[in-house]
Formats: sequence, C-alpha cells, structure tokens
Amino acid sequence: MTGRRPDRCRAPDAGHDRRGPRPDERWHRPWLVAVLAGATLAVLAVAAFGLPHGTGPLPQLARHAMRIALPRWGTTEAVSEVVYGSRGWDTFGETFLLLAAVVAVSLLARGREARSEYVGEASAGRTEQGEADPDEGVDSEESEAREAEHGEEETAQSAAEDADDDPLGEPGPERAVGMTVLVRVGARVAAPILTVAAVYLAAWGYTPGGGFPAGAALAGVAVLLYAALGHRAVRTVVRPSVLEPLELLGAAAIVALGVVGMIRRSAFGENWLPLAPQQTIRAGGTLQLFSAAELIEVATGLTIAIFALLGMRHDWTPDEDDDSASPALETHEGQS
Amino acid sequence: MNPAELLPLPVVLPVSGAVLAPLAARLHRRLPLIVGLVALLAALAVLIYQATRIYRGDGRILTYFFSNERPVHGQSLGIAFVADPFGITFALLVAGIGSLLLLSALSELGHLGPRELGGLACLMQLLLAALIGAGLTGDSVNLFVWFEVAALASYGLTGFFLERPIALEAAFKNLVLTSMAGFAVFTAAAMLYATSGALNLGQLQRAGPGTPPRAQLVAIALLVAGFATKAGLMPFHAWLPDAHTPVPGAVSALFSALMVGLGVLALARYGLLVFAHVHALLHLLTALGVVSAVLGALLALVQDDLKRLLAWDTVSQTGVLVAGFASRTADGVTGGVLHLVSHGLFKALLFLCAGAVVHATGVTHLRDMGGLARTRPLLAAGFTVGCLAIAGVPPLNGYASLGLIHEGLDDQPVVLVLAVAAQIVTIAALGRAAYLGFYRRRSEPYEHLEPSRLGMRISLTVLGAGCLASGVLAPQIVSQAAGPAAALLLHPESYASAALSAAGGRVPASGVHFAYWEPKTLLLSVGELVAGIALMVTVLRVPSASRPLQWLRRAHTGSVNDYAAYAAAGFVIAAGALLA
Amino acid sequence: MIVGNYLAAAVLFCLGLACVLGRRNLIKIVMGLSLMESSTYLLLVSLAYRNKATAPVLADRPGHTSERDLVHGNVADPVLQNFCITAVVIGVAVTAVFLTVVVRVAQHYRSTDADDIRELRG
Repeated sequence: MTGRRPDRCRAPDAGHDRRGPRPDERWHRPWLVAVLAGATLAVLAVAAFGLPHGTGPLPQLARHAMRIALPRWGTTEAVSEVVYGSRGWDTFGETFLLLAAVVAVSLLARGREARSEYVGEASAGRTEQGEADPDEGVDSEESEAREAEHGEEETAQSAAEDADDDPLGEPGPERAVGMTVLVRVGARVAAPILTVAAVYLAAWGYTPGGGFPAGAALAGVAVLLYAALGHRAVRTVVRPSVLEPLELLGAAAIVALGVVGMIRRSAFGENWLPLAPQQTIRAGGTLQLFSAAELIEVATGLTIAIFALLGMRHDWTPDEDDDSASPALETHEGQS
Repeated sequence: MNPAELLPLPVVLPVSGAVLAPLAARLHRRLPLIVGLVALLAALAVLIYQATRIYRGDGRILTYFFSNERPVHGQSLGIAFVADPFGITFALLVAGIGSLLLLSALSELGHLGPRELGGLACLMQLLLAALIGAGLTGDSVNLFVWFEVAALASYGLTGFFLERPIALEAAFKNLVLTSMAGFAVFTAAAMLYATSGALNLGQLQRAGPGTPPRAQLVAIALLVAGFATKAGLMPFHAWLPDAHTPVPGAVSALFSALMVGLGVLALARYGLLVFAHVHALLHLLTALGVVSAVLGALLALVQDDLKRLLAWDTVSQTGVLVAGFASRTADGVTGGVLHLVSHGLFKALLFLCAGAVVHATGVTHLRDMGGLARTRPLLAAGFTVGCLAIAGVPPLNGYASLGLIHEGLDDQPVVLVLAVAAQIVTIAALGRAAYLGFYRRRSEPYEHLEPSRLGMRISLTVLGAGCLASGVLAPQIVSQAAGPAAALLLHPESYASAALSAAGGRVPASGVHFAYWEPKTLLLSVGELVAGIALMVTVLRVPSASRPLQWLRRAHTGSVNDYAAYAAAGFVIAAGALLA
Repeated sequence: MIVGNYLAAAVLFCLGLACVLGRRNLIKIVMGLSLMESSTYLLLVSLAYRNKATAPVLADRPGHTSERDLVHGNVADPVLQNFCITAVVIGVAVTAVFLTVVVRVAQHYRSTDADDIRELRG
C-alpha cells in the first residue's frame, strides 16, 4: 500500500484551467491546415469540372446490367442484381471486410485471459506503460469508471430492475438497470414491428433493400431493447457465445453459396436455383439466399461490435495502486 | 479440372479457414493452427497447379469471370481474375510465406487465451486471402475491396497486444492514414468509371490512348496517394514504422514482407499496364521511389528499436522496388518482380528473428541487446542470412534482384547513383543492427530467455533455405517467372486482350537473362559492400557521425496530424506533377 | 446542375481533411474521417445521376412506362449505386474499429489529445 491515494486522486476541476482554451481545443498548425486543405480543394475542383454533367448516355456496363436483370437473374431490382449477382464477388469481399472489422473490434475490446507462459511483449508493455504517463495519476473520472466496472460484475443484484423503483426527485444519476414502464412498453411494441420491417426489407428482394440495411435495422432493434430493458433482460440472447457462431454461420453460408455455384455451374457466384415468377418472394434465385445470409451476418456482426464496445473494461491498464502483475482470472458476467 | 476454373479457390480457401478459426479455437487451442495451415497449403497447391500452365515456355494467362458475367463487345460488367505471371508470382509468395508465418505465429504464441488465438488466426488468414485476391484480380473496384479487407485485418492485428500503449497508438495512426488512402482509391475508381465507363483493368487500358482528361489525371493522383500509403512510399509512409514495431513478430513479417507488396503491385499495374501512356506518372513514381529509398535507409541507420529499424528498411526497399518498376526497362521490371520475391523472403526472415528476440527476452532496444549469437545461434544465423541477403552478397537472392534493378536504371544516371547510395546506407544500417543485437558481448545475462518453439524454428529454417535457393536458382527464376512477368507488364495490349476474353491469352516472350558473374554487377556489388561496411564502422565508432540526421528524425514528430499533413501534401504534389 | 453536387462533395472532403489535419482531439479526428466518408457517398450518388432520370427499378414503374422503356431509357446508374452501398458498409466497419481503438488509447495514455500520444517518433 503506497498510502498516496489522497494525493493522486485529483479534485474534479483541478485540470481545467479556465484561463485559456484547453490544449486539445486549439488548432494544430492552422496556417498549414489552411494551405493544404485549400490546395486539395483546388485539385478536387479541377476534377469536379471534368466529371460528366448528367447529360451523357448511361455507360454500356450500366445498360447491360439493366438488360440482364430480368432475363438472367429474374429480379426487377437492378441494383440488387448488381450487388448480389453480377458483381457478387465484390459483395463477398464486403462480407469478409465486415467480418474482419467485427473480429478486430472483439479482439480489441476483449477482457484479459490467462496466459500460461512468459510473453516478452507483455513485460515490454509494462515498461512502456510506466513511461507513457509517468506523472499522471488516476483522476476522478477513471476511478469512478473502475468502481462502476466492479459494481457491474459483483453486486449487480443491488441495482433496481426498473427506474420506477427510484423515488422521484432523488439527486444523482439513475442506477436502475432498465427504464420506466412507459419506455419499456413502447420498446416492447416497437421491437416486433421493426423486426418485421427489417426482415421485409431483405425478403422482398425485387424492390430496393437487401441484406445490409436489414441487418443494420435488426442490430438497431437489439440496441433499442438493451437500452430500454437493461442488460439483464437481453443477455441470454445477446452474448458473444451465441452471436459469434451465428455470424460465422452466415459467413459460411455465403461461401457455400458461391462454391455450390462453382460446382454446379462452373462459375463462382453463378445462379444455380431455378428462377421463380417475377415479383414474388423467391424471385432472383440465389440473390435472395445471398441477401438472407448477408442479413444474418450483418445483424449479428454489428450487434457483437456494439456490445463489445459497451463491455470494454480497464483490464489492460493496471490501477496505479494495484501491485499485482498477473492478469485477472475472474470471469466477467457480461462477457461469457 | 481446367486450371482457370479453379481461380477462386486460392481466395476462398483461406477465407473458409478464417471463418472456421474462431470456432476451432473454442474447441482446442491448437486447432486454429491446423485449420489455417490446411487452408493455406491447399491454396498453395492450387496456385502451383495453375503456375505450371502460366510459367511454361509458352505460358498462358488464365482468365476467370465471376458469376459467369462475360464481356460483351469489349465491355465487362463482371469481375475478372486475370492470372498473369506477375499476379501468380505474388500470390505464390503470399501463400507460401503466409503459411510459414501462420505456423510460427500460432506456435510461438500458442499459449495465449483461446479468444486471442482465434482472432489472430482469423485476421491473419483474411489478410492473406485479401492479398492473394488483389494479386489475381483484374478489376479496379475489386482491387479496392481487397485493399480494404487487408486494411481492416491489419487494424485488428496492429492493436493485438493490448498491454502495450504503443500498439494502440500505432493502430490509431495506421487507421487514420490507411482510411484516407482507402477513400482516395475508392474515389479514384469511381471517377475512372464515370469518365471512361470501365471497371475492368484491360478495358480501362483500351479506353484511353492519348492524354487523359483532367478528371482522370486527378483520379490517377488519388490512386498514387492511396496505394503509395499502403506501400509505404514517402511522403505517405509515416504510419509504417509505427505500425510494424509493436505487433507480434510474425504479424510484422506479414505486414512488411507481403502487405506492402499490395501497394507496389497496384502501382505497377496502374503505372505499367493501365496508364502506360501517361509518362508523368512513371517519372513521379521514380522520384517518390528514390526519395523513399535514400531517406528510409538514412533513418534506419539511426534507429535504436530493432523492429523499427527493420520497418524503416522496408520503406527504403519499397522505394527501390517502385523505382525498378517505374524504370520501364525489361531489366528493371524483371528486377522489380524478382526483388518483390526476395524482399518477401529476407524481410520475413529478419522480422521473425526480431520478433522472436522480443518475445523471448522482453527487450526491444538495441542498446539493451547483445550476445545472442552465443545463446540463440539459430536466431543469430537467421538474422545474419537476412542481412547478407539484403546486402546483396552472392549467392543469396538480393544479389540477383538488386543487380537487375541497377542494370535497369542504367539509362538514368542520377537515379542509379541514388539507388546505389541507398544500398550502401542499407548495408550499414543492417550490419549495425546485427552487430549491436547479436554479436556484441553483453555484460549480464538476460532476465528472461525463453526457448524458441518448433514451429518458429521450422519457419526460420525454411525461409533461410528459401533465400539461399532463390539466390542460387536466380537465373532460372528470371527466365521462367520474373522475365515473362515483366514481358507482360511491358505489353499492356496483351494484358488487355487477356482480361477481356474468357479464353485468356498468351504471355509474350521475354529476352531477359541474368548472368551471374557478369563483371559489372559483381564489381558494383563488391563496391557497395565495402562502402557499406566502412560506413557501418564509422557510425559505430563515432556516435556523433549521425548527428546530421537528427533533423530527419525530428521531422517525424509522432503526431498523427503531422503524418496526415505529409500525406495530403504528397497528394497535392502528385496532382501537380500529373496536371502540369 | 450536378456540378454543384460535385463541388459540395469536394468542400465536404476538404472540411473533413481540415479536421484530421488540424484537430488534436482524437474523437474529432474520427469525425473528420466520417465527414470525408460522407463526401464520397455524395460524390457517388451524384455521379450516378442523369438528367430527368428515374430509379433503375423495374417494379412499381411510374406512369405508363413499360419495362422495355426503362431498360433502354433514362435511368440512373445502378453500378455506382452498388459502390455507394459498399462505401457505407466500409464506413461503418472502420468507424467501429476506430472508436474501440480511441477508447483503448485513452485508457493507456489518460488523454485524448494527439500531442500527448507521441511515444513512437523519429
């Protein structure tokens, strides 16, 4: 115990000197910024005046896409045909771009796992942490954040289920897990409607829509329910151990769709389902399946990313007064 | 099966491995390694099978159209994979070195937690798949998509060791600069489509004889800015040394040996195939190349952190590569292709050794290192082979590739002098690193000195053997692989007709031969070596000899705003050079 | 006059660039990059436009047009609209990773000022 806690916890206003703007509110080399931004604007303006004015004919590629939309892919939505059909390989790359982003976010937001042997980079890291902020101590915001994290994991039971249990007029922030009854009922009514709307966007593929916006809408529904009902209500479903396999399943389905096309029709991404009548839910053949798999992947991926961000803790930066060098081995409630 | 029909597989296989990796990690921690190795070795096997058709004396170019969307009247909506000798060489390099790096990463770091291992395996395989895809593709937007997949995988990999503050700092700088590069490339592809109606690279080549309109010149400047950022050319380079330092050893090898190749490959394709008639572009690339070569080597000479030193050397080598490609001579371009392979091999070897040192001892700075030649002979031997390869000592691979590039720069004397100067400084920098890190005596033993694992030792041995083999077999590699690759790069019309035809095309004949003991090459190499060793001894004995270079060090302030300013200034200069 | 859209996209891009070059708060730099992204969306959708064109959708056609009229007539460009979807997805992905990295950097360096985050230099 160092006994230095009173000194190192600064008072809330100590760092905010009101005599001038804070260091990060001033511009960094404003004259250089003006010169460079102005020069870039000049170059881009030169380009802007050379771009087509909207009077020219449609490029041959676009005309070709319009022409084959119905006969070859059976869909009335030319943009969907381009996205999931003719240029489906780009969308394949997109999918894995999103997968890479979601894996990157969950890797960066991960909690600390036990390492069984010596890792040189970890000890280098400890040295660097000491060098990074030698004079700064834990300030009040950070210690409040750490206390809140402790509160989340151990004594979550002490927080009220919904905000109606907090008496009116109480000072201080709300500590309830969920919101008031009005908000909760509203969310419970809105969520199914939004879910159906999102699935409709992806299912009726012959009109504008598709898997991407539908997936984003579903992720929005998950966040809405989390905000209104609290973590305890959604954590049975919204957990990495449930969502990650689903996301990987969506990605695997997209790979499988292409490979089946490769085997049956000798071209990756070629349509291998018979075309249904126009403007029905099955119109478009593999376009619909691709869109549906994309929906699963995007929805689960975005939800994983959002909840990983929300669940980040101070695991990797040891507390100043904590002398233990070994990583925490406790399991975290929200991070199974 | 027709080898052309198997073209999606080298990308689909590592992608499937990436999808399975996190699930495999939950079952057992060794499983992601096995899954990843199987996927990459399978991709390598497919590529080798295709290479036998492409590299033969009368080689063919294999073309594949996704979703069976074939060109109509010379206009291609569908995405084409055009496996020409250049692309297949890069893809083979990525698959081969990638499997070795995956092996060493997952065996060296095999005792990390399951979530970390699953994420590492997934991101590494996605990065490798993206690099293979970029090498094989013949479509401007598809090239951008693979560029972005590689970028996102690299963001996750840069910040892997969350306990190192510099890892997160490097991840942020990487993010800012590479995102800007992504926007630039994307805008450029859209502008090229809007002005010429073409997405396929072959169609773009045919759309534009004569001086391009101004909007297209700005688009070319944006392409240069974007891909030069990825490649690490000055002045778009500032994120690179930061991002290659705090990452795991195999990942920094992946970045330096393979990922910068993506930028160089794209610049070579656009500069030599699509916009070959825009002479200002090649002059611009040559200028950027030699500046990077010289300044990168000078900055490598004064570094204290071992991996940062190697990363600055990557900046320098990228400059040499781009200068070789932009010379537009048969020798220069052949040398460029060969140096891409050589650089991949020796840079991966060097970074694996450096990463192993950091991982085993926890020491990152050269001033604290030393004495490893005695305690870790394999690492020291690997590092020494890498240094000798960069130095261009026969029979290792640097000798052939650098010799060819210098021959190709014969008709540009200023450029040649600068390239030779850069090589001399590089030799001094790497020699200094080898001495301070490995051969100098260290007074106390290390606090920690973990043993290397089997996977790491296998990778080091194979890479070292690869450096030696590709050096000894250089004349054969030149006549079978690098020569035809260069021949196609210098005949844009052959590429265009192959890219727009489902039947592929033929590779033109190549006339480049590398004579191993040609006196001029040998003399130049020996001269560089002698001068380099002299410089190294000077720098080691006289510490104040590097004082003139402090202004260069101070120019790299570490502030992300300044690095972005360098990139923006670079774009403005490139646009000015092209529009003038 | 679609050139107005192109100029607006260029101005937006340069405003975002000015934020990235000049602002030291990390979150403001992320916002600057978001602005640059939005300018590319504007550019792409404007490039897809044709004068007096309709959407490239063959269902729910306006007026008495037949499918043939649309396929051979005046529609906006579906290929560039595909690129716009691609760009939006990339933007979402990159911003998510950005914010995670900013939180981790702030945890380590206890500051969101880019001038305090300069351990790697030279």
